[in-house]
Formats: sequence, C-alpha cells, structure tokens
Amino acid sequence: MSSYSLSRRNLLQGVGAVGAAAALGGCATATKSSAGTQTGGAVTLQSDLSSPLAEKAMQALVAAYGKQSKHSLMLNTIAATTYQPLLPTYLTSANPPDIYTWYAGNDADHYSKRGLLLDVSSVWNTMGNYPPAFKALSTDASGKQIFVPTSYYWWGVFYRKSKFAEWGLSEPKTWSDFLTLCQTIKSKGVTPIGLGAGTGNAWVASAWFDYLNIRINGAQYHQALLQGQHAFTDPQVGKVFDTWKQALPYFDPNGTAVTWQAASNQLIQGQTGMLLTGAFFADAAPKGSLDDLDFFKFPVIDASVPDAEEAPTDGLFASAKTGNSAAVLDFMTWMAKPDAQNMWTQTSSGTVIPANPQAATPTSPLAKKGQTMLAGASALTQFFNRDSSDALQNTANTALTNFLQNPGKLSSILSTWQTQAEQVWKTA
Amino acid sequence: MALTAAPAAGARRHGHRPLGSRLRTFGFHAGASALSLLWFAPIALILVISLRSTDDVLGHGLNSVPHSFAPGNFASAWNDGGLKQALINSAIVSIPAVALTLLLASMAAFALARYQVPLRRTLLLVMLGGNLLPPQILLVPVAKLTELFGLHDSLAALIAVEIGFGLGFYVFVLQGFMRTIPAEIQQAALLDGAGPFTIYWRIILPLTRPALAALGALSFTWVFNDLLWPITVLVSETKMPVTPALLGLQGQFVSYWNVIAAGSVIAAIPTVAVFLRFQRHFIGGLNLGGVK
Repeated sequence: MSSYSLSRRNLLQGVGAVGAAAALGGCATATKSSAGTQTGGAVTLQSDLSSPLAEKAMQALVAAYGKQSKHSLMLNTIAATTYQPLLPTYLTSANPPDIYTWYAGNDADHYSKRGLLLDVSSVWNTMGNYPPAFKALSTDASGKQIFVPTSYYWWGVFYRKSKFAEWGLSEPKTWSDFLTLCQTIKSKGVTPIGLGAGTGNAWVASAWFDYLNIRINGAQYHQALLQGQHAFTDPQVGKVFDTWKQALPYFDPNGTAVTWQAASNQLIQGQTGMLLTGAFFADAAPKGSLDDLDFFKFPVIDASVPDAEEAPTDGLFASAKTGNSAAVLDFMTWMAKPDAQNMWTQTSSGTVIPANPQAATPTSPLAKKGQTMLAGASALTQFFNRDSSDALQNTANTALTNFLQNPGKLSSILSTWQTQAEQVWKTA
Repeated sequence: MALTAAPAAGARRHGHRPLGSRLRTFGFHAGASALSLLWFAPIALILVISLRSTDDVLGHGLNSVPHSFAPGNFASAWNDGGLKQALINSAIVSIPAVALTLLLASMAAFALARYQVPLRRTLLLVMLGGNLLPPQILLVPVAKLTELFGLHDSLAALIAVEIGFGLGFYVFVLQGFMRTIPAEIQQAALLDGAGPFTIYWRIILPLTRPALAALGALSFTWVFNDLLWPITVLVSETKMPVTPALLGLQGQFVSYWNVIAAGSVIAAIPTVAVFLRFQRHFIGGLNLGGVK
C-alpha cells in the first residue's frame, strides 16, 4: 500500500499531464479538414421529423424522389431532442450532411449570418407562385434566399365539441366572452385551461405570451420586442401580463409540471376544457377522437388591433459546404413543387398545410378551418423562438414559468427577463 | 433461526422466540418486500406500457389501467423503429471494444504491476485523473479529432473512443489485482526460461481471469448503455447503436410511449443476459475495489 502514498511531486506531475492533455484537446478544435470536396455520391437529408408517422412520410418522399431523379438521397432521421442541440455541430463540421429540415425566419437567418447556409436563390426562381411573405421569411439579412418552405401549421384554442355541447357553450370571439366561458367550465368542476409547460416543454407557455402580445400590442410591436427594440419592462408588456392574470385562475394549477403530451391527453379525456396549442396536437389524439376535436381563434382583446396569427413555417435549408450542390438544389426544387407537398400532407397526420399555393388543399375539416383562419390574418408570426432565437426562448421559459408559479412577483420577473434578454441580444 | 423454530407450534407459544425478535424479523421482511416492490415498480410499468396499444396510451394516458393488449409494439419497434439494425451496430461496437480494452489494459497493467517501469506512479495517477475528468469537456475535441483522422461517422471511431475512455480505469483496477499475485510464481517461470510475453500470456493472464471476467461484464454494460459518444461521433441513422435509436423513437411533439417502452425492453435484453450469465463476476467486480 505504501507505494500508493501520494507524494506532492507525483501529484503535480499527474496534474501537469492532465493539463497538457486538456490543452492538446483545446488545439484540436481549431483543426480544419480537407474533406467536403467530393462532387458525387449520395446526398444526405438530416431530418428531425422522428415521430413514427412523420418519419414514414419522409421515407416515402425520399423514395418517390429517388424514382424520378438521377441523384440519390439518403434520409437520416435524428431524435428531435438531440437534433436541435446538434444542429450547429452538424453545420460547422468539416464534412457536414447536405440538407436539413428546419425553421424559416430569424432562426435560419442566424445560421446564414455565419456563412453556413447554401444560397438557394436558384430554387426560388422556380417558385414564382409562392406568396411574397414566404419569400421574405426565406431571405436572409444579406438579401439572398437560404430556405425553402414546405409546409406550415396554425395555433388555436382546441376543445372537444361534445364537451362544449354538453356544457352549452359556443366558441368565444372576444376576451370577455372567453373569461365568461372559463367561468362556466369551472362551475362544472372541470379545469378550464390546460397548459402542459412541464419538464422540457416550458416553451409551450410562450404561445400565451405571443398571442396576448399580438392581440394587445400588435404583431409589429411583438416582433420588434423580440428583436430587442423594446424592453420587457415596458408598460405595454406589463399590460400583456395584467390581461394574462385575469385568465390565470382558470389555468391548470399543475400547468408548469405536466408535460405537453400529458396536457393534450387531459383535454382528450375531458379533464381540462381547452388547450392553446399547435396543429401538431392532432398527432397526440387517438384515432376516432379527432372528429370530436375543434379549435377557435385566440379571442380578440382590443378590436382596434388587426388580427395576426401564429403560422410556424417548416422547410429545408442546406449546408454551404455541400459537395454536391447540383443534387441539393434539384431535391429542394422538387420539394417546392405541389406533387411532393401533396404526398407529404397526405401521408403525415393531415394537419399541416402545404406551402405551395398550387398544392391540394388539405382535406381534413380542421386543416381547412386552420387554413381559412390564416388566410384571413392581417399578419403572420412564426413563434417566439423562430421570431427570435433559441437563446431568447430560454429566457422566456424561465420568466414565464416563474410568472405562472408566482404571478405576484411580476415586476421583478420582468426586470430579470430584460437583463437576461439584453445579454442574448448583445451576443447575437 | 426463525425457520428452525417454526415446526414446533407449541414451542413458539412457550416463548422460544421473544416477541421483539419476531417483530424484528417481520419488520425486516415487510420492509425488504416493500423496497423491492418499489424498486420493481418502474420496470413493471414499462412492461405494462409496452403491451398497450397506441390509441390506448394516447387516449387514456400513460398511467392508466391497460385497456388493450398489443404485443405488436415489439414488432414495430424492431422493424419500423430500426432496433434490429441498432442492436447489430451495438454488437459491432461493444464486443470488439470490450475485447480490445481488456487486452490492452491487461498488457499495460502487467507491465505496471510486475516491472519497475519509470514514472509508473505518475502514469497510474494520470489514468485515474483522466477518469475523474467529466467526458463532456472532451466532446468537441473528440468530434474534431475524428474528423481530422477521417473517422467521423464510422463505427471504428466509436470503438476507438470507447476503448480510449475505458482504458485508464481498467488498467488501474487490473494492475491492483495483478500486484496481489505472488512474485514467486513469476520468478519460477523466469527460471524456467520464460520471456516477458510468455509470463504475461501463460502465467499472469490466466490468474487474472476473475478480474477480467468482472471487468468484461461491467464494461460491456457501460459501452452498450453509452449514449454520449455515439451521438458525438456518429451522424448517420443507420450506424447508430441502440441507445440513440431508442431516443429516435421520440417524436418532435408527440411520442408513442408504448413503442418506446417495447424498444426499451428489447434494448435491455442483451445487458440483462450478460448480467445473468456473469452475475457471479458482477458481485466479484464489486469487491475489486477492495483489492490491495
């Protein structure tokens, strides 16, 4: 045992060696590889659409593309939970995958600023029939297109038709209607509003912030706020939370503990009355129960503010380092066409709306209603994280969770939020 | 003690076992049963969920009483979920990684334990220190180095990384074990004209077998259950071992927990099999730290 007695000299030798190893590791981050110069071979499509239905739909799409093209494409489906943190690693690696499923708007622009994305303006030359709003969303700060939208979806307050009929309720149009309706549901012994902002799903609460802000202060103010042109300590933002407080007694008291999927389950089982959520909600509904589900537009709070809606747009972008840009652009052009988008909307759960206006309109009554609602909107926003950045989303998660648990501490929560947000804007 | 007293019912009445002792025994068994039930509850829940249908889980929630029986989940995890390929990948990684680590570690341990290698203690300390280092801080260097060597996104890179990160600990444990082997055995072999390699291969290694078996079983479960390095080194879905494949069954918003539960059960089978086969050595492995 004596041979193990730690002498100080030996310990220092050991520590020195460990330090040297760490320093060597540090050097390695600066390595550049000569890879990425190959010109042929299969193009890889990195996809975060890992839910079983969506993955099957993507596989079918890739197979259909392969049949009619001389290029070959390989689909890589990565779990959504690991995809987001790994995306920057993929894009900055020496030999990155070629094409990625991701979000339009600021999030894509953020990567483009660092020169990581392929210019897809030539694809947009074939997309003349797309509305200008989509082109604006797909254009980066330097004015070139870097994104090809394939589909979008909507957000709404979902409810069960049979339950509303049982309670004698109809869809509310205004905020005061909505509060009365909440009171009625509460009097029936049911939690009026589910949330589902539990572990890993804190972002769900941002939907409420987004919509209240859009309805009270307008879409323009909302987007300027997320860009750092206003402060979260502004009286306008205070008004958003004051309005939210009126509805807070009707929220599920466990709203910040229950996961989103559990919250959707509560609605389906009739344990809660309503849930503000995205159209992907349909995936969480068992077969048959979908017919009983409906949604209404988030109620109007100030009639003088034009109605804007959340319409998150999904699509593809590609790595600037791709070795086979001909194949990449060919696939993206194909994906922008109605045929490919029809395949996608039919095989997936059926609540996404194809981005190409010439593609077949969705057949499900829910999707039709969603499309009509978005078509009538004066402006479209994406979602908190897509309109800002993942870093700002984290500050919102902290602030909103804190607000839902301690609404009395609002002013200190907002000033902390502002401090954290300023750090994000500064480093962006 | 309690059992031997049991047959004589009359004896019990006459107080062969005092009340306190009986209460203690009862308390021990009741407590132990409750603890083991508590321990087993999550596993039982996974097994129950893995046999429920998707609509049942989506409609009634995860924690409800089963309303359906759907053993097809296992088939969909195996085929559609890609667990079949993932298990093959896991085997391709785990088996060579364990074999090579043990071979290399035992060689290094042999030299460090049986010979006066210069800087011996420093080497052992660095190996031990390396184990104290959280692997997370090496994620980026490892990812970039595999790219530099052209090994990125290959199973060979994953095997190399798993070997590299296991080696230090195994050397440390094995050299401790080898030091307990009496020097006379080696001296006798030396007198008979055996070279260092013969001594290693034919004398020391057979004597180290208990430690090797314990470490082999332990390292198999570690490598097999590792998630961090596969997602760092690999990009392609078809090359992913079983842990990231399980994660990949989760959707962006909605997850079919019944299929995920079935996949978890499948993924647990190899490690459980290794455990049952090497159970004895696992317990032996727990004592390895006590070897002087």
